[in-house]
Amino acid sequence: MHEVVVTGLGTVSPHGDDADAMFSALMRGESAVRQVFPELPKPAPAATVAFDESRWFTKLQLAGVDRVSQFAVAAADLALADAGGKADVDPERFAVFAGCGMGGAAALEAAYRAGIGGSGRVPPLTIPAFMPNAPAAHVALRNGALGPVLTYSVACASSAAAIAEAAKAVQRGEVDLALAGGSEALIVPGVVLAWQAMQTLAGFQPGEAATSCRPFARDRSGFALGEGAAFLVLESAERARRRGARAYAGLAGWSLGCDGTHLTKPDAPGQQRVLRGALRQAGLQPADVGYCNAHGTATRIGDGVECDALATVWGAALDGLHVSSTKALHGHLLGAAGALEALITVLALHRRQLPPNAHCDPVDPGCPLNLVRQPGTAAPQLQAAISSSFAFGGTNAALLFTRV
Amino acid sequence: MGGNGSRTMSSLTELQDLIQQKYGLDPAALDPNASMRGSGIDSLALVEFLFEVEDRYAISVPDEYSNVDTLADLAAVIDKVRASQTA
Repeated sequence: MHEVVVTGLGTVSPHGDDADAMFSALMRGESAVRQVFPELPKPAPAATVAFDESRWFTKLQLAGVDRVSQFAVAAADLALADAGGKADVDPERFAVFAGCGMGGAAALEAAYRAGIGGSGRVPPLTIPAFMPNAPAAHVALRNGALGPVLTYSVACASSAAAIAEAAKAVQRGEVDLALAGGSEALIVPGVVLAWQAMQTLAGFQPGEAATSCRPFARDRSGFALGEGAAFLVLESAERARRRGARAYAGLAGWSLGCDGTHLTKPDAPGQQRVLRGALRQAGLQPADVGYCNAHGTATRIGDGVECDALATVWGAALDGLHVSSTKALHGHLLGAAGALEALITVLALHRRQLPPNAHCDPVDPGCPLNLVRQPGTAAPQLQAAISSSFAFGGTNAALLFTRV
Repeated sequence: MGGNGSRTMSSLTELQDLIQQKYGLDPAALDPNASMRGSGIDSLALVEFLFEVEDRYAISVPDEYSNVDTLADLAAVIDKVRASQTA
């Protein structure tokens, strides 16, 4: 069994495509959320990416490549470059594990508009553009990965599940190098309307979209959608050492499970199982973990259930666990959320800094967590940090990182 | 345009312009008699390109022509289809 380490980080996020600068913006509490699609009947908050696809694609290469795949290619490329390249990897032992909730939403929406409401002519590359495994496939094509190239589509846990599965493959020696993460790009009017219909998006007064997502706050009312991608490079500690690569952190524990109770209602026991599972695999006690990047979607029910789960598992050690949901600042990236939040958790550990749980004043008295209330919080003793993702469908994932 | 009855109409220049606009490929860099795949226009890009050509000229290119290999061949097909469908 190999020890798994993170040697590269790459993201295309609402706070830009420099992972370190993105983390610094979070540390300052800067929100990337704003109002989108003013033409819709009801205003919607979202965090979008200012993306220059020409950095990664010629116009010709963009034929049939949806924004969701463009993000994935860019973030994976940045991660691999950050890791110092793929070195001498055997292409057949080089894998891509990618999460994606919805695939190419823009391509699908354009096809509906043209085919049903418009000219009747549907772009011929709609299928390869929107298929949910397109992002992983493009990453593999671009980087010559000939090992397993797999897509995990488990809603909000998609990319956390992808990272867990990648870690398992590296741990068992099935692959030598894995690009693990996810991408999502579904901020198009039709999808926004669907999320609004589900009553999950934050409400806000005019001009206040930036602070609309308020995890664990008494007045929380839901999340803001986000888009983007994040990838981690995972490899064994031996391989990283051999090639002189810097390791940001170890991925010491992970756990996947399902509530098995309800399609959309979260379940504290289900969450407890994966939190405990990750601790057990890492051989750590709750008191060893100093930071939790919470799922924290700021829905009325979700945050309360997550608090219960954390309180039950951490018990007397709950006060020592600093908690923040960075979704307040970067929005909910859905299928890419687990990957971006894992990346943030790794940087929190690496830099020993804790991004704030923004827009949370006053705190919900029903959420007695040690929330990171202030921007710029340092954590000089931090040794281990956990990131959790709890999905529609009941699938839960926890990733536990440690200092190396 | 003013072909005045003689069969001189060729879509080649228009296609080259469209390729430049859409894909940024300079006409000089694209030999009309070479395989388009060599210039990076693979089967998927060609399908997308044909779709746009159909839109632009309001024509429908029959499936049997969807595997043309060179730009000159494509221009000849478009000429033929335009002549028959816009008559």
